[in-house]
Amino acid sequence: MDILYSIYEVLWFALIVLTGIALIEGYFYYHFKFYDRRWFFPVALIGFPLAAVAFCRALGLAADPFRPLLWFLGSEALITLFFRHIVKGRNQLAYLLLAPAFIGLALLLVYPFIFEIYLSFHDLKLTTIMQWKNTGVLPFVGLRQYVNVFTTSPLSEVTFWALLGRTLWWTFINVFFHVTGGFALALLLNNSIRFKGFYRTLLVIPWAMPQVVAVLAMRGEFHSQYGFINIMLVKLAAAYPILASLGIGPVQWLSNYPLATCTLINIWLGIPFMMVVILGGLQSISSSYYDAADIDGASYLQKLRYITIPLIKPVLMPAVTLGTVWTFNNINVIYLVTGQSGGTEQADILVSALYKAAFTYNRYSYSAAFAIVIFAILFFISVFYLKSFDAAKEER
Amino acid sequence: MAEVRFSKVTKKFNENVILNGVDAEIRDHEFVVIVGPSGCGKTTLLRMLAGLEEITSGEIYIDNVLVNNMHPSKRQIAMVFQDYALYPHMTVAENMSFALRLRKAPKAEIDQRVTEAANILQLTKLLGRMPKQLSGGQRQRVAIGRAIVRKPKVFLFDEPLSNLDAKLREEMRVEIAKLYQRLNATIIYVTHDQVEAMTLAGRIVVMNRGIIQQVGSPIEVYRKPANLFVAGFIGSPTMNFISGRLSMADGKAVFQSEDLSIGVPGFVLHESEAVDGREVVLGVRPDDVLVGGKASEHCSEKLQAVLEVSELLGHRENLYLKIGQTRLVAMVEAFFNQAPGSAVPFCLNYTNMHFFDKITEKRIG
Amino acid sequence: MNDKEIYKQKKLFKYLLIHLAIITFVVICVYPLLRILSVSIRPGDKLISTDLSLIPAGATFAAYVRLLKETLFLRWLWNSLLITVATSFIGVSLASTAAYAFSRFKFGGKKGGMILLLSTQMIPAGMLILPLFLMIMKLGLMNTYLGMIIAYSVSSLPFSIWILKGYYDTIPRSLEEAALVDGTSQLGAFYRIILPLSTPALSIAFLFNFTTAWNEYLVARVVLFSSKQYTWTLGLFELQGQYITQWGMFAAGSMLVTIPVLMVFLYSSKWLISGLTLGSVKG
Repeated sequence: MDILYSIYEVLWFALIVLTGIALIEGYFYYHFKFYDRRWFFPVALIGFPLAAVAFCRALGLAADPFRPLLWFLGSEALITLFFRHIVKGRNQLAYLLLAPAFIGLALLLVYPFIFEIYLSFHDLKLTTIMQWKNTGVLPFVGLRQYVNVFTTSPLSEVTFWALLGRTLWWTFINVFFHVTGGFALALLLNNSIRFKGFYRTLLVIPWAMPQVVAVLAMRGEFHSQYGFINIMLVKLAAAYPILASLGIGPVQWLSNYPLATCTLINIWLGIPFMMVVILGGLQSISSSYYDAADIDGASYLQKLRYITIPLIKPVLMPAVTLGTVWTFNNINVIYLVTGQSGGTEQADILVSALYKAAFTYNRYSYSAAFAIVIFAILFFISVFYLKSFDAAKEER
Repeated sequence: MAEVRFSKVTKKFNENVILNGVDAEIRDHEFVVIVGPSGCGKTTLLRMLAGLEEITSGEIYIDNVLVNNMHPSKRQIAMVFQDYALYPHMTVAENMSFALRLRKAPKAEIDQRVTEAANILQLTKLLGRMPKQLSGGQRQRVAIGRAIVRKPKVFLFDEPLSNLDAKLREEMRVEIAKLYQRLNATIIYVTHDQVEAMTLAGRIVVMNRGIIQQVGSPIEVYRKPANLFVAGFIGSPTMNFISGRLSMADGKAVFQSEDLSIGVPGFVLHESEAVDGREVVLGVRPDDVLVGGKASEHCSEKLQAVLEVSELLGHRENLYLKIGQTRLVAMVEAFFNQAPGSAVPFCLNYTNMHFFDKITEKRIG
Repeated sequence: MNDKEIYKQKKLFKYLLIHLAIITFVVICVYPLLRILSVSIRPGDKLISTDLSLIPAGATFAAYVRLLKETLFLRWLWNSLLITVATSFIGVSLASTAAYAFSRFKFGGKKGGMILLLSTQMIPAGMLILPLFLMIMKLGLMNTYLGMIIAYSVSSLPFSIWILKGYYDTIPRSLEEAALVDGTSQLGAFYRIILPLSTPALSIAFLFNFTTAWNEYLVARVVLFSSKQYTWTLGLFELQGQYITQWGMFAAGSMLVTIPVLMVFLYSSKWLISGLTLGSVKG
């Protein structure tokens, strides 16, 4: 029964989505069709906002209909004018095809973003959340949340600046090892050897596994007693007492070196992607370059330096950019390793601290401001990256 | 079947004028070939007729019905695309019947028409195959079959043979000619290959830079090119052009260039055109440059040239001649046994000399 | 030994080294997976041990049986499946039409739209969890499928649009023109010609949407709170976290979700990567 009910629930939702899309399409269709009729402006201005308010009331939103009505009226006027003077009925089909996707993006990506900015100037926390849920009103606090981000700890002790430094370090180390490891593996695989396809398949397993499983399994291997690494260390120390006297022995990975553990796990996870991308790049390099270089008497390293690296740069650069953004934003690994109750904050980077600040410490507005700050940092890094990418493009 | 009329058709793409006021009429049952170099607007014209391209200004009529704003499928045309545009996910039979199925034609009629077209094009055995499994020539035939099945008023061919290799192209050319005799339909055929134009067309439309240069039967276009462009575009090898001026001596016209002086017979130039001192271009087809035995048969006054290179094509031979600084190509029958560097006497066939005004580039005789 | 033999031996040595190096990496990559497998078939009394053998003494499937009988694992899988399929359908259908508009039409704001799509990729996913969570709460959709579907549905949209646009661009326009001449509308040509021809790209986009939602943990963690509504990621995390005795069941569950995902991924990875690189190199 439960299962039938759950199917019913999802189908019901699908129906709502379809109706929504139909409404959107119809709405735009009439704007396209009648945009230049004289009667359309007043009719649209009265009709659509009223319908929208009625719709909202039917859904149980908009308890006080006056403010939303003004909102709808204003936006309807803007849309009608936009259709009349800018779109002018052109490219109807293109816009109709785009409308559902872009409205979806606007509602679930752009609106949350704006909402987050709104939150960051107000004060939403565990004590004010019920008030907000019932009345929708929040106390305005100006820039106080932003000041707090830089002066108080997002968690319990670690400061923003420590987190920032840790994040940059984490990103750099990870991307560096991803690229070098991926490059080395790709070079090895690019030889004409037996079982190449088989090796390649096995090598992408860390990437292909569900990340939750992969991280939790790796976390198990770092367990102080039963993890593979410490078992090996114990056995080594037992077999070679010299090593033991040098201080080699089991390590409390999760409690003493959580960041190193996370980094090791994430490097393990990220190499396959880089390997596959680089391998694709290597295979697209025509072998005639290497033949020519052989005739010119180039050594292996020279070929690597003067042919391989310059020619895979166009494949590598976007992959590195993507990899940087992904690593910078990687909550999964750190949260899954340290997120349980009693978990440490020694390993947290900006985004994982953000997640914990919001959902472990329930400091909503604080983390909204924190999120905006992180976004600004990432934005500058990306712009810098793209700039240097463009410069590299022009060199060629 | 139907007639097609273009009236002052213009196409602009942003600031670029692709077609500049095209006027043309295509009669019922006519095979018209539109020919011109790439970028001359011929394909655009065809696509506007098909309804795939918007018309900036002017009118297009099919059977006296204005079709400017009509949906392509309502114009009762069928089009064969350069890359065939066979639907890759449908079999040959499904490809051919697609339009009829869209119109919800009765199944019996669809089957009958598909079988008929397949018979004409010898596709019967291939009806169940996918386009991927066909050779280039077979795909071409399916594309034509798809057009036949619809029984359109006008067939449009957009460079249909340009993706085939040379040998297949010749075969398909003959096939299309046979098909035309059989269907007796109105066909508009766009190509950049003047051989296709000469062999297939009832009438040729030569276009350049968005303007129609000349309309006429193949022989008219070949024998009486209206201007320098048509003269140079039609015919292979290309016509020889020599710049010079006309002068009058004793009531007779003489063409003089830096290296040549040739008397012009009265029947070639109208008297009104033969103005003393007029700057002209003389055009002579390589066939009309007579060399060796033929020269002595036909002409009284012979000129001297030096043979630079000769190219043997099998039954014919191209001779590259040099007279002072002027170069001429002559086409003679094989074998012309003379070594490069030797002196060759030649003359021009007076009956087929073409004169063009140097400034207007128009034909004057 | 002559020169030829020395050369041959050198070459053999080189290949041996390459194989050795690769095999080392392969072991590092595969070993954790094998360890889960071996833990999952350990008998219950030997769960906690420092034994490293892959097939333990007294191997048994008891952990699998217990997982299916004593926990809501099947229910979690079902929840995940439902949420994931629904999001993938919504995501792919929105992406397929939008990508068509980007691929075939010229319109004002086209370039702006593409840039907007790319720039949404710059917004850290973790940043949007909070406002989405608050929106879902305000709509009263906490702990429901709908809340999850809403939160997931557009997250892969920009990437899907990007992949599909790239694929549509490779389909010659003359096919649609032929369909227009044959009597379809522009939309009909999309539906009858372009969509059937794009099944490879559509299934890649679907798979991408599917795996993203299937493996998601962070949103589920804050939206779902009753164990009946859990997705498998939450369920597994809980099993792993609770007591060390659940370790065997955690391993069994991991194997059950990993194997199908792995198979699908390995099957589709080639196209997925070409899509990834295509989009980025072209831009």
